[in-house]
Amino acid sequence: MSENKMDRRSFLGTSAKIGVVGVVGGSALLASCAKKEPKAVALRQPGEYYVPELPDKAIDGKALKVGVIGCGGRGSGAIMNLLDAADGITVTALGDTFEDRLVSLKDKLKEKRNQVVADENCFVGFDAYKKVIDSGVDMVIVATPPVFRPTHFQYATEKGVHSFLEKPIAVDAKGYRLIMATAKQAQAKGLSVVCGTQRHHQRPYVEAFQKIQEGMIGEITGGNVYWNQGMLWYKERQKGWSDMEWMIRDWVNWKWLSGDHIVEQHVHNIDVFNWMFGYKHPIKATAFGSRQRRITGDQYDFFSVDFEYENGIHLHSMCRQIDGCSNNVSESVHGTKGYWSSADHAIRDLQGNILWQFNKEAAEAEFKQQDPYVLEHVDWVNHIRKGTAHDEASECGMSSLCGVMGREAAYTGQTIEWDTISAADLDYLPEKLEIGPMDMSKYTVQVPGSAK
Amino acid sequence: MAEGKGKYWIIGLIGLLMGFFIMAAFDTTMNKTSTNEYCMSCHTHEQADLDWKKSPHYNSHSGVMTDCAACHLPPKEDGLLKYYVVKSRIGIKDLWAKWTKDPEEIDWESKRQLEHARKIVYNSSCEKCHVNLFPEGISDDGITAHLHYEENAKKLGLDCISCHLNVGHYMPGYEHKRLEGTVIQTIEGDPYDSAAVVNSFENFTETVPGTTAAINMIAVPGGEFTIGSSPKEPFHKEDEGPQKKVKISPFFMGEVEITWNQFWAFYNETMSEGRTPPEKIYANNNRPDVDAVSGPTPPFGFPDQGWGMGERPAITMTHYSATTFCQWLSLKTGRHYRLPTETEWEYAARGGTETPYFFEGNPKKYSEQGFMSKLRGADTTMIARYVVYSGNSSGKTQEAKAVHANPFGLKNMLGNVMEYCSDWYAEDAYSKIPDGALDPKGPESGKEHVVRGGSYADDASLVRCSSRGRTYNDDWLRTDPQNPKSIWWYSDIKGVGFRVVCDVPDNVNINK
Repeated sequence: MSENKMDRRSFLGTSAKIGVVGVVGGSALLASCAKKEPKAVALRQPGEYYVPELPDKAIDGKALKVGVIGCGGRGSGAIMNLLDAADGITVTALGDTFEDRLVSLKDKLKEKRNQVVADENCFVGFDAYKKVIDSGVDMVIVATPPVFRPTHFQYATEKGVHSFLEKPIAVDAKGYRLIMATAKQAQAKGLSVVCGTQRHHQRPYVEAFQKIQEGMIGEITGGNVYWNQGMLWYKERQKGWSDMEWMIRDWVNWKWLSGDHIVEQHVHNIDVFNWMFGYKHPIKATAFGSRQRRITGDQYDFFSVDFEYENGIHLHSMCRQIDGCSNNVSESVHGTKGYWSSADHAIRDLQGNILWQFNKEAAEAEFKQQDPYVLEHVDWVNHIRKGTAHDEASECGMSSLCGVMGREAAYTGQTIEWDTISAADLDYLPEKLEIGPMDMSKYTVQVPGSAK
Repeated sequence: MAEGKGKYWIIGLIGLLMGFFIMAAFDTTMNKTSTNEYCMSCHTHEQADLDWKKSPHYNSHSGVMTDCAACHLPPKEDGLLKYYVVKSRIGIKDLWAKWTKDPEEIDWESKRQLEHARKIVYNSSCEKCHVNLFPEGISDDGITAHLHYEENAKKLGLDCISCHLNVGHYMPGYEHKRLEGTVIQTIEGDPYDSAAVVNSFENFTETVPGTTAAINMIAVPGGEFTIGSSPKEPFHKEDEGPQKKVKISPFFMGEVEITWNQFWAFYNETMSEGRTPPEKIYANNNRPDVDAVSGPTPPFGFPDQGWGMGERPAITMTHYSATTFCQWLSLKTGRHYRLPTETEWEYAARGGTETPYFFEGNPKKYSEQGFMSKLRGADTTMIARYVVYSGNSSGKTQEAKAVHANPFGLKNMLGNVMEYCSDWYAEDAYSKIPDGALDPKGPESGKEHVVRGGSYADDASLVRCSSRGRTYNDDWLRTDPQNPKSIWWYSDIKGVGFRVVCDVPDNVNINK
């Protein structure tokens, strides 16, 4: 064949391949050294990964004004956690799509924390987030249904406001891309961004993370993650509710709002594996899923996903929301020298001997605060008060897209590649956001494959 | 002893001072010789200077002016040695050029194309300033593309200027944005009512109903010829053999490669919405009763590379795009248009000749490869009349009127752009052809298609009648950030296009 053409037109491809061979050669060399070395070889050196400091309370410093966008269960919980985590915090603005949710949080804040939010700083409607952010807050808790997260994060970042983003932070490919870009912008502005994947601030997880990075289980070879639980809450449609109002109030059952429970809930567990594995993304996913028991909405009841990473590493993920089945919410990571499980927060060698186990008593003797939901806010406020930029959105964004990839693989029955899903034209956000009727024919349960 | 020691002290001190002055002088020299004024004092390319002043790097939103050295020297952070080596090399080259060359005669046009630009722009210099690839206000397309870059830059050899070629020097006609609007201006005038009437086997001009596109078709008589080249031919490649005698039936062939005017006529009528999934397109176009084909999605940027459209050959479309053009043209005219087979193509290119080119001359004389050519310069007299190739193209395609036709009356068979054939490529394709075969076709299946005839960027050794080429599908799409990647447009090959052939209609008597 014509070699000259080959040279000129494929030169880069070829030289890149040679580069890869070089790298593989190098790591094989390292591996052979490791064999002779009996002690653990660190996966990464300290300083190459982030370990949060987890004091009982945030440092004192600048008084901070916080706004809450999304005053439902999680928004209300998160603001209380924040007030437990730090002193010198004033809640100055609230926003929600519905007035009743907003008023309920407003009353609770007054009653339990003696924090009075002025009426003129309480905003209702789809654009409430803008008004909260523009009201002069330093920081916002964003806990609306996940589909809105990317646009809210974008606006907060544009205005230089620190964000706490409840997980998941994207339910589709377009949202993922906006998250990734906005995360970089937030870093450039020195903002502190923390996400609601609270295992990152849970003492036993953080210790296990360090042990794994130090090489206690050897090279990571795979993992299993689970969120199998009973049925989640739902809301029957009430008289006078439009399509939009019903769906938002019943949001954990509608895929466009929540991303389905594999994204909305199970992202926690997928994220744990990604975290331990250094956020190397999977290259593809093949999945099963179905709907058997759900009452409202258009979501599935269960998913089972095989995530494949480079070099033949697999993560099996399982999630189910059906009553009367075996339950399990945990993660395990396997390595060449042992494995870790969050079920008992222990690392064992391949013979089953315990190499390390989280010492709860010792932790309780050292620290008063054990609640990861509080500790994540301690970390958030500390970064803000120290003026150090902090980015959890890129990581949570990646894990959210893993959930999306698994979901789409189950919905379609197709193996889905990372390159495809990350560039996909997948956008769940409706063009028009207003309380009123919707074209409900768009919201049907997905059926994979085809049949005669 | 004491005196001796004092002497050493003084010598040491003088040495230190001298060292200090030399360093200071060196530093001053290095700084002074990196100013724009200094660069431009030797580097007399008036147009490049003007175009720089029209570029966003001169007149940026933030008020920062990026000077010559910022892009055309590697950043010092990459290593001082590299910096000084490159600086000295460029300096010597510029001085040499200033003393020995006439700036008027330097081919500045080809130097602004990506192939050359990559050699003189340092990607690490781009990245040194542009630390955040996701600035506020970036579009979703931009995010997708930059995520693709971050993930694949090393693996695929992507540079910033692979997509942003015009940022340092203004390039008229070069756009980095999604092409807007569905209708692209073609030839003005009234559209044709009907297709041409063809009753005899002679040259005719196809008129495409409903458009202003006309295509000159040459009647290529049937005959017998020897495909491939002998190992003795200079620059012969293994895939050009074994030579086989084959018979070819008569056909009509486009006088020139399909032009932008003709291609946009097709696009304007068939354009598919952006990101229409390939499955949908294939399903529609494969229907036996299809009455309207689904054509290309809008390209990103202007696919003419800013070189101009009109009568220049259409380029950068995929093989599928070219095939769909033929399908559309057949539907519009009622005649059967298609891509040529590889044997038809070579038969037509040779026009009855058996020499390396259809005109006189030895490839060794025309090629810039080889010691003798480098020494005395390649001979271009004859070849430049017939072929648009690296020796005369200024690094871009040219209109067909730039060259003379071959004995059949076909233009640009050997150069300008590589042309798609209908066959799959196989290195050993000729060995499978039975001697004396009539209208043989290539392998049943394959991964890449045959492209024939060299391009504007090729050396004379690659524009011989028997030179074979093929597509490099993945490589030609490496900067395309979409997934699935475009089935219509290539992002990383410029010198590829096609010409059509038309089967002789049943009513035409070929013997008459």
